[in-house]
Amino acid sequence: MGKRSIYLETKDPIIKFALVEKVLDLARANSLWPLQFGLACCAIEMMSTAMARFDMDRFGAGIFRSTPRQADLMIVSGTVTKKMAPLLVTLYEQMPSPKWVLAMGNCAISGGPFVYEGQYNVVEGVDLLVPVDVYVPGCPPRPEGLLEGLMKLEEKITGTRRFPTPEKRW
Amino acid sequence: MLENIRAALPGINISETSYPERGYHLAMDAGREQILKVVGFFDNNGFCLEDLCCVDYVDHLELVYFFNKHSEPYRVKVAVRLEPDKPAAPTISDIYAISHWYEREIHEFYGVYFENHPNLAYLFLHDGIDSYPLRKNMTKVPEEDKRLLGSSVYKESEDTFFVNLGPQHPSTHGVLRVIIKMDGEYILSSEPMLGYLHRMHEKMAENRNYAQFIPNPGRMDYLGALNFNLAYVETVEKLSGIAVPERALYIRTITCELNRIASHLLWIGAFLADLGGLTPFLYAFDDRENILDILEGVTGSRLTYSYFRFGGLYNDVDERFKDGARAFIQRMWKRLDIYDQLITKNVIFINRAKGVGILDRNMVRKFGCSGPVIRGSGIPFDMRKVEPYAAYSNTDFEIPVGANGDIMDRYLIRVREIETSLQIIGSALEKLPSGPFNAEKVPKILKPPKGDVYHTVESPRGQLGVYLVSDGSETPYRMRWRVPSYSNLMTFPYLAQGTLIADAIAILGSLDLVIPEIDR
Repeated sequence: MGKRSIYLETKDPIIKFALVEKVLDLARANSLWPLQFGLACCAIEMMSTAMARFDMDRFGAGIFRSTPRQADLMIVSGTVTKKMAPLLVTLYEQMPSPKWVLAMGNCAISGGPFVYEGQYNVVEGVDLLVPVDVYVPGCPPRPEGLLEGLMKLEEKITGTRRFPTPEKRW
Repeated sequence: MLENIRAALPGINISETSYPERGYHLAMDAGREQILKVVGFFDNNGFCLEDLCCVDYVDHLELVYFFNKHSEPYRVKVAVRLEPDKPAAPTISDIYAISHWYEREIHEFYGVYFENHPNLAYLFLHDGIDSYPLRKNMTKVPEEDKRLLGSSVYKESEDTFFVNLGPQHPSTHGVLRVIIKMDGEYILSSEPMLGYLHRMHEKMAENRNYAQFIPNPGRMDYLGALNFNLAYVETVEKLSGIAVPERALYIRTITCELNRIASHLLWIGAFLADLGGLTPFLYAFDDRENILDILEGVTGSRLTYSYFRFGGLYNDVDERFKDGARAFIQRMWKRLDIYDQLITKNVIFINRAKGVGILDRNMVRKFGCSGPVIRGSGIPFDMRKVEPYAAYSNTDFEIPVGANGDIMDRYLIRVREIETSLQIIGSALEKLPSGPFNAEKVPKILKPPKGDVYHTVESPRGQLGVYLVSDGSETPYRMRWRVPSYSNLMTFPYLAQGTLIADAIAILGSLDLVIPEIDR
């Protein structure tokens, strides 16, 4: 997982301000504003994550914006259907750069349980529509999973992991 | 009842069926030209249209109408035979308002043309479909039909404009889209657009065997997952004649009621957030997490449970579950007082909710509403009482009923339903018998006998019906889900007419919609 340029449109800026960029990245990673955009079951777990017990606000990502124009992070929480696909792309395009996408749940990753021969309505993975930064598997993923995904995204933006990886006990 | 129907409808093949085995009291075979007469009779006699669906038998198509009466439950199935080549039937959308939407759905999935229907545009599917999804032999959509089926075109006049609500809108509780025609600040008309989360559950059912479909219902309605799971499992048990041990029935009741409380709590939070108050959201989720902890211990998941199996359960409950449930009941009674102070006595909330979105008894019947929506309008129609399933016949509880049918009533019904659920859980925990929790000798691959069955349960949102047709093989031939949110949502255009946008949001919230359930 390499570090991606913060400017999606211009690959390499003419003048590089390494330190400024670093500071900006740190600020961005710690204040990811997600788009308030729920699709299916995973949206409920996303809401749970934002609520009192799991409190996504601890990581600066609790301010859900209803408009894509104020959001940095799109959490695709659920199945994307072919009817929804163009609207999802529109939402993505309306978000200002730099922007990130987190595919939450098996449906958003690959179509999940709804993929079978002859299916006619499900997009088999949101990465066919928009570039995805972090994948969080599960059906639906637990809130802890989503938080871990968020930390992975922070790691991707800043290059360092803010919280230590928990020890494996089993 | 039977004599009345026989006398009023001569020349129609009427046969009595065994209700415990089939789930309906009466079966009728009507011809295409007799539909209007039959439907008119049921309308005049106070029946509601419970469901309208279609089954493809390859050599013919069958339209299936389910009628039921709220005052004295009596389910009648009317089957109408149609030719597979260019099938057509008269519309009944001017008699029963809800059939407007059912007919659009059937037209889209089967290509049945309804004569004189006002608008047969696509409701669920995207424009790229080239064969009717639920037809067995991949019948192609004709070119002229594709043009007709494509999305509706909206024209503005001089004084009106359109507001597009959704599909990405926080207060539509998912991906519902409503196109609202405005005259200044007031709503002239509105039309729900569905299908942004159509996940082909009914088609999937025809593609896998009975056991493989168990995870699906929980994903249809993720807030009442156990109730959906139960509906499916009980339907298959009814058709194959599997007896369930009593302990399993009680555990099913307890877990379903816990699930119902969780669903209602989430609704209270989300509804109040729609109205602009975010505080109850945090309170409700706090209580909800407690229920999820209890259920997680036995079911193994937090949200999309598939806990029930044919003939029993996935595993037995332990002391931790029972203690947790008892502790939760005690906690919740205290919390209800807090909700009372926080919401029910709040002046701003009362002003927003009282006298808004009134649904009278007749409209409730025409739309085939169910759940808290129908009980808010004063009809004590609850499947737990009317057609007891699981262990509900052994538990004593009352059905809360509203008086005015406004938003306030729908809110109060749900709060009081939390209380009834707490009572049910309490008494079921006391009565919980010991013994096995799984039926013996349930084959791994089920092959239910040929035939059809209808089964209903009361999901948190209302009456959930499953119509299952089996051809004796490992896979269901046709599985139709009659979902409560569908008919509840369709009252929205009627309720929202002439109101302000802010009130329309309140009305939409009060119906308690779960979109994946509507779209299936």
